Amino acid sequence: MTTPPLIPTRTAPPTGAPGSLVPPSSTPVPGAEATLAPQAGAPRRPRRRPPLGPLAATATLAVFALAAVAPGLLAPGSPEALDLGATLQAPSAAHWFGTDELGRDLYTRVVHGTGLSLLIGLGAAAVSLTLAVLLAAASALTGRILSGVADRTIEILFAFPTLLLALLLIATLGPSPLSLVLAVGVGTAPGYARIVRGQLLTVRTSGYVEAATALGHGRRRIIGRHILPNALRPLVGIFTMSIGQSIVWASSLAFLGLGVAPPSPEWGALLDAGRTYLTAAGWLVIIPGLVIALLALAATTLGTSIRNRLETGD
Amino acid sequence: MRTPRPSARIGAGLAMMAVLAGCSAPGTELVASSGAGPDPAPVAEGTLVYGHQQEPPCVYGGWIEQGYLSHQVLDGLVSLDEDGHVVPWLATDWHESADHLTWTFTLQEGPTFSDGTPVDAQAIVDNIDYWLAGGNGTAQVWIGPYVDSARALDATTVEVALSQPYPRFAENLTQPYFGLQSPAALAERTAEENCRQPIGSGPFTVTEWNRGQNIVLDRRDDYDWAPANAAVQGPARVARVDWRFITDPTARTAALRSGEVHAIYDIQAFEWSALESEGYELHRYITPGRPQQLSFNTGRGPFADERVRQAFAYSLDRESVVEAVGRGVIPYEGNGPVSRSTPAYSEEAAARYSYDPERARELLDAAGWSEVGEDGVRVKDGERLHIDFPYAINSTINQDGAAIIQGLQQYAEEVGFEVELIPYPPSAAAAGAYSGPEDYDVSIGYWTSVNAGILLVNWRQNLPESPNPSNAAFYNDPALEATIREANSAVDPDEQDALYRQAQEHIADHALSIGVYDRLSTLAVGPHVDGLRQENSQGGPVFHDAHLVD
Repeated sequence: MTTPPLIPTRTAPPTGAPGSLVPPSSTPVPGAEATLAPQAGAPRRPRRRPPLGPLAATATLAVFALAAVAPGLLAPGSPEALDLGATLQAPSAAHWFGTDELGRDLYTRVVHGTGLSLLIGLGAAAVSLTLAVLLAAASALTGRILSGVADRTIEILFAFPTLLLALLLIATLGPSPLSLVLAVGVGTAPGYARIVRGQLLTVRTSGYVEAATALGHGRRRIIGRHILPNALRPLVGIFTMSIGQSIVWASSLAFLGLGVAPPSPEWGALLDAGRTYLTAAGWLVIIPGLVIALLALAATTLGTSIRNRLETGD
Repeated sequence: MRTPRPSARIGAGLAMMAVLAGCSAPGTELVASSGAGPDPAPVAEGTLVYGHQQEPPCVYGGWIEQGYLSHQVLDGLVSLDEDGHVVPWLATDWHESADHLTWTFTLQEGPTFSDGTPVDAQAIVDNIDYWLAGGNGTAQVWIGPYVDSARALDATTVEVALSQPYPRFAENLTQPYFGLQSPAALAERTAEENCRQPIGSGPFTVTEWNRGQNIVLDRRDDYDWAPANAAVQGPARVARVDWRFITDPTARTAALRSGEVHAIYDIQAFEWSALESEGYELHRYITPGRPQQLSFNTGRGPFADERVRQAFAYSLDRESVVEAVGRGVIPYEGNGPVSRSTPAYSEEAAARYSYDPERARELLDAAGWSEVGEDGVRVKDGERLHIDFPYAINSTINQDGAAIIQGLQQYAEEVGFEVELIPYPPSAAAAGAYSGPEDYDVSIGYWTSVNAGILLVNWRQNLPESPNPSNAAFYNDPALEATIREANSAVDPDEQDALYRQAQEHIADHALSIGVYDRLSTLAVGPHVDGLRQENSQGGPVFHDAHLVD
């Protein structure tokens, strides 16, 4: 992530505009299309196969999104409906994911838990990256004192293991979905702050920023028009990846009983409840675990793809 | 000396009991045994490793989990045998005066505390003074209202003066909260030292406490004053007990199956039949006293209205939920004030509020909660029928209990309640969370005891001049308290039982508290241990009698 990206070539003002910072080598010039056009007899560039991984990830995420927005379409029943005559039933045609200790249908609970699980993941990722950007910006773009404070803050936060930091926050705030979002968000922020800080420093010392400075552009204009857009664009990919990671973190905390109160079908809470019955009803843990892994995998795959495309233009 | 133990103590009506063979001590059952072949050879020495589900803050204290531990270290004056009779321990004899206001205990000669000081009459007096001063909160609430003073008549005779007759005094002293400590240790050591390593005259001493892991109990080789109902006299038959804390029930059961521990406490209901078929020896004790019950906050909120309390009670199919989760191991308990294993148990009180959702809706309508919102929650004057329902998960409520509570929530919501479950961890429970009048609408919990005298503990009025934090319903009724006090002092057993039943039925009629399930003390014992039994007053494990076998 510290490699200077090619982003400046795509975000710079149009060539010829006053104050243009676009390096000459990448400036489109009249007639360039002609020179780049395939010559007769030249070998054709092979058509790229559609990227299966990102496509599958997108499709998977679309299903999760549907489950989050309209769970009733995929599982019409109530996730809390009891069937006391069918407790701890193994997966079957009647209960695809089996039932829990109160006869509740696990498939229905997983589907109806998607919304809250995704919301926690998205919220935590948003908190994490917002905090990371603020800290990184303070570190990389401000004066010595504020920069020093931000650097030390990042280092102090980084000294705590993510889980410990999250536990500390939940112990202070009390378990709730909001606490979970804040705990995971703050807990994972230091790592992202370092990435963003590196990105900002790279862009800040780039040639086009130096040129803008030499041309007498104001500090705010340079930061707002050149540094932030170029440094933060890769975060789109990071954000997507962090959604999956946040869900895993949130599920870990919920597994420890520090998440959403029962009978919520939030996935971490399902894991936590299911572990009690691990020896007799392993599906109560395995299936929610697989679902969490699938979502994290899909989000990470898509995020990686987005990041790569932004960095390499592929 | 009188200790009638009605047959109700046996836990009648349980399906389990009809099909499972074993001994039938009151409240306790040996429901399966692996001992099918010839008796295995005993091992004279060795360490018995035991897995318990939670770690108390002190070895000694007013919580039953502390009582289970301290019972290994601190002896009592008297013990309870399997038929419910009070039998000698450190006291060889005791009697009441004709006016029932004086009790005299005669001690055996010879017992010593592990610091070498004698267990004499003055030591008993010092301990009674310690209890009355609040040294053990549970001991205090039992004897505080009755014991005026104690004095040593000579080295082996103690006289206790009461303010009112208390015919079950000796029976109450069989509870492990009345474990005796060295007065010298209490006077000279810090509270932390006595918390960590109390000095008693029991068969074991606390050698080491690794917080979060285990407590090591080592045998006293000179111990020779076991209770009359002990299987063997003399020192314990194992040299050491490694009392481990294994909170997670799955890990605890796995530790037993793998042979890492010899015995475990608190068996999950769904594991019961599997462990039984695998040949483990299973013990179940239905704790007398208050069962796992719902106490309604009558002081404020929706449950200040009796009709709303009754509606909540009618809305719950408690029996079906308990049967589904309890799988024949955890008994349904309809009686809120006392469990089925408690003397003077009222079947009538237990039979109140069978599942009747239509009746629940009618009562809510009558109470003004007739408007139903789009989400099914009832509304009155713009206020939703919201119920805060906290419970101490992994503390007083285990995983089976948590599942039962979720089932109850669903039933209540069917008729228009909005029930918010608030599980809170053991650390919060130890800090007294969710115990104030503004903290909940309904609470769940138990309070073990040896008889229905627990009613006074739970229902004595909570008044500014005499606070009663154990009155979980925040219900002050002088007439109810008077009935219970009259029962506690009634010297005629039939009269006493009738008064206790009258109090239970009053509590049920006004829906102040309704039962859910009986609290159990369960043990699973592996094939390398013999003689491990449950104590008869509260159901804790007794390691003095246990020994290892090849």
